Amino acid sequence: MISCKNVVKTFNHLEVLKGIDLDVASGEVVVIIGPSGSGKSTFLRCMNCLEVADSGTITVNGKTVESKESSLNKLRQDIGMVFQQFNLFPHRTVIGNIMEAPVLLKKVTKDQAKEKGMELLKKVGLEDKVDEFPNRLSGGQKQRVAIARALAMEPKIMLFDEPTSALDPELVGEVLAVMKQLAKEGMTMVVVTHEMGFAKEVADRVIFMDGGYIVEQGSPEEIFGQPKHERTKEFLGHLK
Amino acid sequence: MNEFLSFALTYLPYLLQGALVTVEIAVIGVIFGSILGLLVGLGRVSKNPLLSQLSKFFIWVIRGTPLLLQLFVIHFAIPSVFSSLTMPPFVSACIALSINAAAYIAEIARGAIQSIDKGQMEAARSLGLSSSQSMRRVIIPQAFRRMLPPLGNEFIALIKESSLVSTIALYDLLRTGQQIISSTYRYMEIFFLVGLIYLLLTTVMSFIIGKIEKKVGAYE
Ligand SMILES: Nc1ncnc2c1ncn2[C@@H]1O[C@H](COP(=O)(O)OP(=O)(O)O)[C@@H](O)[C@H]1O
Ligand SMILES: [Mg+2]
Repeated sequence: MISCKNVVKTFNHLEVLKGIDLDVASGEVVVIIGPSGSGKSTFLRCMNCLEVADSGTITVNGKTVESKESSLNKLRQDIGMVFQQFNLFPHRTVIGNIMEAPVLLKKVTKDQAKEKGMELLKKVGLEDKVDEFPNRLSGGQKQRVAIARALAMEPKIMLFDEPTSALDPELVGEVLAVMKQLAKEGMTMVVVTHEMGFAKEVADRVIFMDGGYIVEQGSPEEIFGQPKHERTKEFLGHLK
Repeated sequence: MNEFLSFALTYLPYLLQGALVTVEIAVIGVIFGSILGLLVGLGRVSKNPLLSQLSKFFIWVIRGTPLLLQLFVIHFAIPSVFSSLTMPPFVSACIALSINAAAYIAEIARGAIQSIDKGQMEAARSLGLSSSQSMRRVIIPQAFRRMLPPLGNEFIALIKESSLVSTIALYDLLRTGQQIISSTYRYMEIFFLVGLIYLLLTTVMSFIIGKIEKKVGAYE
């Protein structure tokens, strides 16, 4: 589904990704963990070209990601992204946020988009917030709307960049529940998170990144049970 | 006092007619200035170096020279070379004010666009919107709301600065007052009335702008 080969990314002389290889299979849930600044966000953002990798190739659905504007817009329609800061459109209502992209980009009428949007809102448990503006929602509700907004484009892959890190602890669960449901339905997901419980429960594979490299990867049992590398042990030790 | 009141009442209709001209050119100036200013502001933040340099040059020239000079160039200098570009004072005034306002509004627009959180553009792009769709549907609507307060101030400034058009024989509020003075020699009373009307215009405008601001700021 996604195939990354030797991805390198530099920000003014600072090499943030130092050659990353990763294949994600269809329906697989990959969780990326690692210390802050290790390049997790940058890697995720390279996958949908919010950052353009300096070298290496990224293939999504067999198509090589190139920085040509038109093919990029097409590609991004197949990759949903959920941000730490939600990034809802504050000038649109909840349903307006969800309908925006489908109405502009898919051949659907407003009514169809709205119907689909209502379905998604029900799925994330927010059907009573249809006409609210984002500033009236809690963080957890905002993030669930953001997930519904991404799903409205019917993506084949969902990328999550620390979706619960900006939330009050008591709101984390409601967002994780939606993500677990998605995983169960067979969505292909790449999730950067510090929620180890989620990783243990949902991940097919856990990846530990540090200093711009993938240091270690394996099943949740392997990574959390018998980490091989010192850095991994140290990082996991810190969390406890 | 009674004498002043009857004098004022005699000339007030003329002054109000002048005030109408003042409001007209200020409104036209702010509308066309906003449209042109938004375009120049977009050019200013554009990644295209030609567009951004051109916009920068326009802003530099217009903000760096007096409005009165711009008015003379448009009304006298250009027609003296190209006689087909001779225009009635009202049209010249509107063009000069629009262009002048555009340069200031372009900077307002640029500031507003750059003040929108980067995450908004990223969210729009990640959904598959092109950069121009993201601008039109996500960034500009939010930036426009932030532009309203400074745009209101620009409009008020325009009401005052528009008095410069009296120099090209356009009978706005100030020029109408001067005309009345030339036959009555009542400097004090007329300028007092003229000032009062300007003050009324700007005060009413600030009030209306305040109301609009409250309304559109509600979602933030
Ligand atoms: N746009 C950028 N410009 C410059 N440096 C950046 C930019 N984005 C990220 N970085 C740097 O790249 C490194 C990795 O960042 P990031 O991918 O956000 O790490 P993580 O998500 O693992 O915390 C950090 O040192 C960060 O400061
Ligand atoms: Mg990050």
